Amino acid sequence: MNTAMAAVDAHPVRLVVEDDLERNRLTVFFRLILAIPQLIWISIWTIGMIFVVIVNWFVTLIAGSPAPTLHRWTCAYLRYGTHLNAYLYLVANPYPGFTGEEGEYPIDLKLPEPGPQKRWKTLLRLFLAIPALVLASALGGGFSVGYGSSRGNGGTRYSAAGSRGALSLTCAVLGWFAILARGRMPKGLRDASAYGIGYGAQALAYLLLVTDRYPDADPTAMLHEVDRPPEHVVRLVGNADDLRFSRVTVFFRLLLAVPHIVWLLLWGIVTVFAVVANWFVTLFRGTPARGLHGFITRYVRYTLHVYAFVYLVANPFPGFTGEEGLYPIDLVVPEPTRQNRWKTGFRLILAFPAFLVSAALGYGLLVAAVLTWFVALARGAAPWGLRNYSAYSLRYQAQVNAYVTLLTDAYPHASPLEGAPEPQDDFAEAAAA
Amino acid sequence: MSRRLPLLAVLAAAWAVAVWLLWRSSLPAYHLRPLDPRTLFSPQVLHRADDYSDGARLLWLGNVVAELVVLGVYAIYGIRFARESAAGPIGTGMLLGMLGFGLVWAAQLPVGVLSVWWRHRYGLDGSYVQATIGNWLALAGAFLFLSFALAIVMGLARRIGRWWWLAAAPFFIGLAILFAFVTPWLLGGRAYHAPYVQRLERVEHVQHVPVRVLDGFDEPNAFATGLGVSRRVFLWRPIVVPPFTPRMDEFVLAHELGHLAHNHIWKSLAWYALFAFPGAYLIALATRRRGGMGVPEAVPLAIFVLVVLQLLQLPLQNVISRHLEAEADWSALRATHDPAAGRQLFELFGSETLEDPSPPWWDYVLLENHPTLLQRIEMTQYYRTYAAAQSP
Repeated sequence: MNTAMAAVDAHPVRLVVEDDLERNRLTVFFRLILAIPQLIWISIWTIGMIFVVIVNWFVTLIAGSPAPTLHRWTCAYLRYGTHLNAYLYLVANPYPGFTGEEGEYPIDLKLPEPGPQKRWKTLLRLFLAIPALVLASALGGGFSVGYGSSRGNGGTRYSAAGSRGALSLTCAVLGWFAILARGRMPKGLRDASAYGIGYGAQALAYLLLVTDRYPDADPTAMLHEVDRPPEHVVRLVGNADDLRFSRVTVFFRLLLAVPHIVWLLLWGIVTVFAVVANWFVTLFRGTPARGLHGFITRYVRYTLHVYAFVYLVANPFPGFTGEEGLYPIDLVVPEPTRQNRWKTGFRLILAFPAFLVSAALGYGLLVAAVLTWFVALARGAAPWGLRNYSAYSLRYQAQVNAYVTLLTDAYPHASPLEGAPEPQDDFAEAAAA
Repeated sequence: MSRRLPLLAVLAAAWAVAVWLLWRSSLPAYHLRPLDPRTLFSPQVLHRADDYSDGARLLWLGNVVAELVVLGVYAIYGIRFARESAAGPIGTGMLLGMLGFGLVWAAQLPVGVLSVWWRHRYGLDGSYVQATIGNWLALAGAFLFLSFALAIVMGLARRIGRWWWLAAAPFFIGLAILFAFVTPWLLGGRAYHAPYVQRLERVEHVQHVPVRVLDGFDEPNAFATGLGVSRRVFLWRPIVVPPFTPRMDEFVLAHELGHLAHNHIWKSLAWYALFAFPGAYLIALATRRRGGMGVPEAVPLAIFVLVVLQLLQLPLQNVISRHLEAEADWSALRATHDPAAGRQLFELFGSETLEDPSPPWWDYVLLENHPTLLQRIEMTQYYRTYAAAQSP
């Protein structure tokens, strides 16, 4: 599914990724401890920013645009937060500076000049930002604005918790182990984490009056300057431009899905036995049994159809058979091919990291679905960005399902970017001609 | 047509014989001078019951009108939602069926909320959460059953054409039997122990029937269900606590055991079977112009016809239900020999549930699936005469 097809005008808050994936094992090993001075510094800065933002809010409300000086401070704060997030989440390697200078860090933000903002949006900014902040908390944003209190044995404790976000945190934990082993951050995890940080920065920029443009959850737009990963054998296809939703089916969406959920459950029970049988076949023969492969493929495709319906990625009510080509969001699954026996033997253990990423993405997917539900009910169409995030999440889950159920031994790719097809071999083409 | 007449006549005769067999009961024929409710209930109770019932009837009418209007409009325009489906004919039919009932739910929601408000106004219990979110969850169950039913009906219609109803009716009868058998095990509840349980079971010849109490209900009520080994009697908690006395509970239990003793569950299923065949045939007939039940276009019309048929058969269904309930009352009187407890129980129902002791005729025809409180008290009076005549 090419979500890059329908390009929208670029968001004024842009993430710049100039990271080469190389990491220093030593600094990664001590990353959290090394970041302590930075965390203290951002806590102090956050306290100051609270006053800056309040003053800026009044200025923007009265004058119709932020005060240039206050805007500059806010931008520096935002940029510094992004640098720190990138450092903590292992999205970048170098130790960040303390000033939030533009262009000094591999993961950076391009921020707009102060411009006119709609007054009603300024007035209601805190409430309008809530959905974006909720999604950001699922993905990886919300750094030191998450400054809050918690009650423990020692009374009220204040903490600038640094960064939060299920997706970025999961990628960071997995990336930590990968870097210690290989000295490089896996590109999929880096991209996913960078996306989460970028969305968090946009949400915060909106809240802190840097721009009145709402955050854009579209992963392709967020990482449009980043190299696409190689095309995965399991991928989504469909018409990305169709955002129309029927309000009635949106309203009853969860209930309408009940028969599908029951059917999915029953089919799932049979599929478990089919997968176990296929595991033995693949382990001994090296290739999955064609019949079992076809049966499981249908189940995995059906799962995608049902999830796409439930999570408001697609509009129509899906069929019950998992047939190819009948649903607007569909899955391409390879024919049974030879698989590495080691990978087959330890498939469940190997899939564990992918399960974690899938669970983190699933949390964001749930948030996105709830937000999409309200928007689709009001507008009769899904928001482009949220729909694309959800499609990314479903694509990853489908790849995990395909990996676990032995449809392929290609490991799921966590990058939010869709894979690029292999470059055509001109010589081979010419020879064939 | 003339060749079919003998067949139709035979079927009608068989149907009539089945009705006659099912109608037979142990209920004596009696006729008493109608009682005056003012002699049994205080003016205050009568006034409150009258006022409350007027509102409740209006709300019922509102519900029915909402349902008919929504499904009527849906029967005409509902097919437009077929474009929201990529599920093939049967899946699309399921979607259309679910949407139809979803829209009915939405239309009835204000009436449901008003009903709770009306009950609160008269000091009766009722939950807004149940009327809104609770019903939403119940709708999920309804959608599931509806999808299953439509998958069966449409599958049969696509396979065997216009005669689908002949195969579908037995299937749904089988399903009803299965539900009746399984339901008691799904309901749970806690065991109810009283000194009179075993005696009543012995008298009613229905031994080893567990009696269970269900929490979470606001009204005093009870019911018997199950077939064979799954037979159970369920008492809703309010009926086993004051102001209901143990004597009244004994009467209630005897009434429910009476249902089981006279095979009322089986009889109800048999009645259902008698209506299932003509009902399914009428749906098949009504949807023929839309291409029959094998195509999704027929589904919105089919559910409208189904609801209209259910409404039309309501008076008949109530006649049958009242007949079975009266027999269970009579059975309770014979088992307990305590008409005074029965009378007190029915009088208490009047003040506790604000049930109208003598509703207007149309209410009696359309809404009352039990004999009226007055009729039930009349029966306890008749039993006194009957018992006096029987004693040596």
